Amino acid sequence: MDAYEARSCLDVITEELSEEEAADEDAFVMVPDSHSPDAFCSQCRTLTHTGSAAHACHALLTPAAAAQQMKDELSRSRSKLSEKIVEMENFASNLEEIFITVEENFGRQEQNLEQHYNEVLQTLSQRNDARAAALDEQKNRKLERLYSELLQCGQTLDASKELIESAQEVHRRQDKRAFLQAVMPVIKRVEQFSSTEVDLKLGVSLDFDVPTTDLSDVRQMMDSINLLPAPSAPVMNPQICNSATDTSLHVCWSLFSDDTVEFYELHWRLISDDCTMETPQDVSQLKVKETHCTVSDLLPNAQYELWVTATNTTGISPASERAVYMTVPSPPVIKPRQCVSSLDAALIRWDSGNTNPVESYTLEFRESDADGSNTATESIVAIPSCECLVQLQPWKRYIISVRAVNIGGPSERSEPIDVSTAGTFFHLLEDTAHPSLSLSANGLTMFYLDEDLPLSHMTFSDSTFARCVAVLGDLVPIRGQYYWEIEVDEDTEFRVGVAYEDTQRNSYLGGNNTSWCMRHIVTPSRHKYEFLHNGWTPDIRITVQPLRIGVFLDYAAGILSFYNAALRQHLHTFSCHFLHYLHPCFALDNPGALTLRTGLSAPAYVTCP
Amino acid sequence: MALTQVSSNKCCNGYQKVFEHDSSELKCKMKFAIYLPPKAESSKCPVLYWLSGLTCTEQNFITKAGSQQAASEHGIIVVAPDTSPRGCNIEGEDESWDFGTGAGFYVNATQEPWKTNYRMYSYVTEELPRLINSNFPADPEKMSISGHSMGGHGALICALKNPGKYKSVSAFAPICNPIQCAWGQKAFSGYLGPDKSTWELYDATVLAESYSGPELDILIDQGRDDQFLSSSQLLPDNLIAACSKKKIPVVFRLQQGYDHSYYFIFSFINDHIKHHAKYLNA
Repeated sequence: MDAYEARSCLDVITEELSEEEAADEDAFVMVPDSHSPDAFCSQCRTLTHTGSAAHACHALLTPAAAAQQMKDELSRSRSKLSEKIVEMENFASNLEEIFITVEENFGRQEQNLEQHYNEVLQTLSQRNDARAAALDEQKNRKLERLYSELLQCGQTLDASKELIESAQEVHRRQDKRAFLQAVMPVIKRVEQFSSTEVDLKLGVSLDFDVPTTDLSDVRQMMDSINLLPAPSAPVMNPQICNSATDTSLHVCWSLFSDDTVEFYELHWRLISDDCTMETPQDVSQLKVKETHCTVSDLLPNAQYELWVTATNTTGISPASERAVYMTVPSPPVIKPRQCVSSLDAALIRWDSGNTNPVESYTLEFRESDADGSNTATESIVAIPSCECLVQLQPWKRYIISVRAVNIGGPSERSEPIDVSTAGTFFHLLEDTAHPSLSLSANGLTMFYLDEDLPLSHMTFSDSTFARCVAVLGDLVPIRGQYYWEIEVDEDTEFRVGVAYEDTQRNSYLGGNNTSWCMRHIVTPSRHKYEFLHNGWTPDIRITVQPLRIGVFLDYAAGILSFYNAALRQHLHTFSCHFLHYLHPCFALDNPGALTLRTGLSAPAYVTCP
Repeated sequence: MALTQVSSNKCCNGYQKVFEHDSSELKCKMKFAIYLPPKAESSKCPVLYWLSGLTCTEQNFITKAGSQQAASEHGIIVVAPDTSPRGCNIEGEDESWDFGTGAGFYVNATQEPWKTNYRMYSYVTEELPRLINSNFPADPEKMSISGHSMGGHGALICALKNPGKYKSVSAFAPICNPIQCAWGQKAFSGYLGPDKSTWELYDATVLAESYSGPELDILIDQGRDDQFLSSSQLLPDNLIAACSKKKIPVVFRLQQGYDHSYYFIFSFINDHIKHHAKYLNA
């Protein structure tokens, strides 16, 4: 019986069972009986009545209790049977599958065999043709030889005949004298002729040289018919997105034929720019049973060439085409000292973290709440260079990190940086500082020391201030509002203000039209304050010396204001339409120190008068 | 006290009005100008008192200084009284332009025949604020004071003599040291008599030297081409020196090319109102 028949039998069994079950239940209906059985012997498992002698020593149950017990027993048997039915059903469907697989396998084998035999037959007929051709050639050669021999004989015969005729003719000559003259050469010729040996041997053997046909390869093919074919080459899958890490690759391949494979062997080597020659030491391999594996201990941001072979008892398949996979890059490294922020934006700068170039960078940022949860992470993708300007909400704290991206996917997150949009954060651009200006370790205090450095010890570059002992700061390149403060001593002669990035490095802050600043000069009689731009200052007297000065810049309103922050006293405002981005600038005109306070937001008295 | 409206003109979305009343300090009818910004229609506003200079009335400031725009924007009431009692028929009151009518010098005169009427100091610091606070939507806690020339002197002395009463003070070309200049000497000897110690009570420089009270923030604008500066009537250096010594915060701006006129006031009145707004609207 086949699977289908088996199946239908099972169905019948189920039906029969339910019928039986129904029948059993009827058995528990009290049958009117003259003896009125009112008990059930659990030992003999029959209905009886109390006081029955036959069951005196047996355990008796009331019909009700007995009925319940029997019902339980029956349902247990029923469930066992149901389980068996399920098992049988599974088995039946399994059989079905196997049935189909056998058909398929048979089909394959048939195909295989046909192909094989066709090959053998082809080879045999080729050999046959070749052999026949060889024999044919031999025959032709022999016939040619014989023919030429025949010709030769014919010629000799003709020559002999001619000679005899001429001898006969001479013999017939009447003239004795003429005859004597002609006869001697003729006799000579005849003698000569008859002395020559006639080669009557056959130049050609009558046997045919039959070479033994090399049928070894045909034999081999016949032998291998019974064997499994070696597998065909597998196919490497392209790299799956986000499956790689910076040191590992998840490699997949497929087998597109129905070959049997015992195991696969995956090979890989690092693709490097310098050497195109592949040495055996460069190639690593791994034996794998599945059609995928994870290769580890790789270099980040590197391309690897991978190929795979399949092996079974017959042999090894040809190698697959080579696929190129790439590991993801190492995470970048944010440079906190070069990041700046304000109330509504931040400029983040980082180092790539990889020696070779990457495709792009992704910047991720999210608000850091008090509880650090329920905040969505926003991303900026396809950043081409190692810096990014990101727009943010004011009065918040953010956690920002960066990833490097190549075709293998994104790297791990870099170490994050904390950014606060509660004020203007910036740092000093050390490479613009005049050589005589030194900065503290935290980069916020600058000193013009008393020692006179000899000019030869000072190194100037295109970006350093050469005369004014000054330095520029960095600011978010957005036309918004900024506020910072400086702290000085009573005697510090300083300049503080803003300048365009390309302000002349060999002129003094405030002395040109690319910078604006407040200046403090100490004279013998009093403290003098100037507000310089283009070399000009209004005449302003200040009675209480400002030692903590607030600087407020508003691009939209076109103002630069200075305040005595301790008194909240307004000192002066420049009104100007600023054409380019500005940089905070600071200078010391005489030995002294100036401390910068950043991270502040403009106080209310500054923004809402 | 009954107020009669003399005029009302809409200006910068608010109203420039002039009122007249019977002054108890000055014992005569007095006019004052008051600008009510748009904000005054719905809520109380702070008040800036403006004291005008020699020969001025309540009209000069409101017609020439252009203060209404800034006052409207910052929601500040501006009150500009007259510069002296009028129509009192005191002998000699009209003899000079720098003494008597139009030259009250914001003092309380002690000498006859001036002492009955010439009590501008009390008028400005007491009667007028009471009047304004009870008749207009003024915030009684928020007052500032400013003025020009003689009025600058008046603003400075009112602030220095009443620590904490005014949130801020500013002045245009003020007479900083009256006891040292011709104007002051003439006026004080007439109103206060020969005893120079009584003059010191109304001298900003002297008052600054002995000031003690809440911190002030004084803004002073002075035209460089002001003829009275060069004729030593104004003497700002003396005030600056006194304030530097006593650490009273002053920002004194010498404005190149400007003179003593209302064109000068017009040019910088916005800065002054902004200066006052910082403290009045805080």
